[in-house]
Amino acid sequence: MTKAAKTSISREQLCGYLDDSLCDTETARVEDALRHSESLRKDLRSLMQERDRGEHSVGAIWRRSRLTCPNREQLGSFLLGVLDAGFHGYVEFHLKTVGCAFCLANLADLEEQRREAAPHTHQRRKRYFESSAGLLRGKR
Amino acid sequence: MASDSDRLLVQQIRQGDPRAWDHLIARYEGRLLAFVQRRLHDRATSEDVVQETFIGFLTSLPNFDERRELQTYLFTIASHKLTDHLRRNGRHPLQNAPDELLHLKLDDNPAASSMARSHERRMLESEAVARCLGQLIKDWQTEGEFGRMKVLELLFVKGWANRDVAAFLKINEQQVANIRFAAVKKIGDFIRDAGLPADVFPELHVADAP
Repeated sequence: MTKAAKTSISREQLCGYLDDSLCDTETARVEDALRHSESLRKDLRSLMQERDRGEHSVGAIWRRSRLTCPNREQLGSFLLGVLDAGFHGYVEFHLKTVGCAFCLANLADLEEQRREAAPHTHQRRKRYFESSAGLLRGKR
Repeated sequence: MASDSDRLLVQQIRQGDPRAWDHLIARYEGRLLAFVQRRLHDRATSEDVVQETFIGFLTSLPNFDERRELQTYLFTIASHKLTDHLRRNGRHPLQNAPDELLHLKLDDNPAASSMARSHERRMLESEAVARCLGQLIKDWQTEGEFGRMKVLELLFVKGWANRDVAAFLKINEQQVANIRFAAVKKIGDFIRDAGLPADVFPELHVADAP
């Protein structure tokens, strides 16, 4: 979180926490606050009840629809530094200030792809495949 | 919106094609691993959670709507598996909360309340807001108006107050209020034109002129 960010936890941050869409630092901050504040737990309870009743927010729809998330190709171009300055600045803001967990995961994956030795990746994918392929239709 | 390539992949997987399944794993495992690892900070455990995510995907495949974005669906499953893991290991922040919070967070049961508004109604409202905002954002992107996007994202997605947004972006509070007002009005009008109630969105209540 940047220094100008609010010190308290907003309703939308709680909402983002429930959606697992916060970055790790912000998630840790919300969890820490929840552990120590009965009043915040009350807010969370009330938010959950509202969601249970089918109430929603513009923010939740924005996050769920990923309205401002750059796509994978744009993130790749961001890493290479080839986006135009305005959009580059916006992607940086989306990653660092908004802290979008899904885009940060994509970015980390793209960075990892540039570094990681192929045999490692191959082994991991083989393990996932072997543990799940039995569930494919026609294989049962 | 699902990509054509993902939709084709899912169709092939539904027919039991192991190559398609291998392809899907290769396409998504890295980002899922990164997503889980950011929370768990443990590589081996994170790989286990991703493995459970893929198994969960195949188990839920009969119910998967191909119009949904595959990546978002996989992240949602990963998120549930992650929460399950944290709960099993006593690491969830609500584990010891003296109330039903943990139970509520983990049991995603939209039909639990007798007061629940219909799912269809909720979907219509969501789609209307997403369509309107999506168009607004697309226009701003084309025009290079990234400052407006930042303002709205901080207000709606982060829930910051006008004052905090203005201080962070180094603009004046009136500019923030104007951007908020214009967006709220546009979304409100769009929703009403679609025959839906705008008052179900708390953010759209502040519709007075700045």
